[in-house]
Amino acid sequence: MSATLSETDLAGVAADKVVDARGAACPGPLLETKKAMGSVPVGSVLELWSSDPQTKVDIAAWCGKVGHELLGTLSADGYERVFVRRMK
Amino acid sequence: MADQEKLVIMVTHGPDDPELATIPFVMAGAAVASDVDVVMGFQGDGCRLVQRGVAETVSAPEFAPLAGLLDSIRELGGQFLVCSPCVKSRGIEDELIDGAEVCAAARFVAEITSATNSLVY
Repeated sequence: MSATLSETDLAGVAADKVVDARGAACPGPLLETKKAMGSVPVGSVLELWSSDPQTKVDIAAWCGKVGHELLGTLSADGYERVFVRRMK
Repeated sequence: MADQEKLVIMVTHGPDDPELATIPFVMAGAAVASDVDVVMGFQGDGCRLVQRGVAETVSAPEFAPLAGLLDSIRELGGQFLVCSPCVKSRGIEDELIDGAEVCAAARFVAEITSATNSLVY
């Protein structure tokens, strides 16, 4: 699944919840995202912070499988910010 | 539900091989996060991973600690089945973690033949 927002648009997104999984090894960031997704309403945007460069690829595959929307990824200082909208 | 996917993961390596002990938990974690039903089956020395206090001692370089993965899998609905003769031969049948279910071969066969796929480690 490819990102649906440009970096410019993504920078203006205010996430409903931030999950800080920096330092966690695979599949920690995915598991934290899965758990957090259950705590926000459908339509909410979750922002995942991960220092594992594979996370954005993993989350993209996960979104494609389970049906959430990958909005995109922004690079930060030593980590990446992955934005996902809960769709179901 | 007929279209619900199920993955059975058989675990045969114990704490003496932290990497091969941890990888099945990594796969199980990704599966439960992906809404796939997960059954983990522990045989041979793999049984020791569901003996109380053992998971906390297993950590492979560059992998998530095994105990945290185990807790997440359990929290997200994964099942743990443990081979009956394997636990008896090790004398650990009364030392298993909460949620670990001792069973025999036919149960494993039933789980595997009804699964979407199975993995053996």
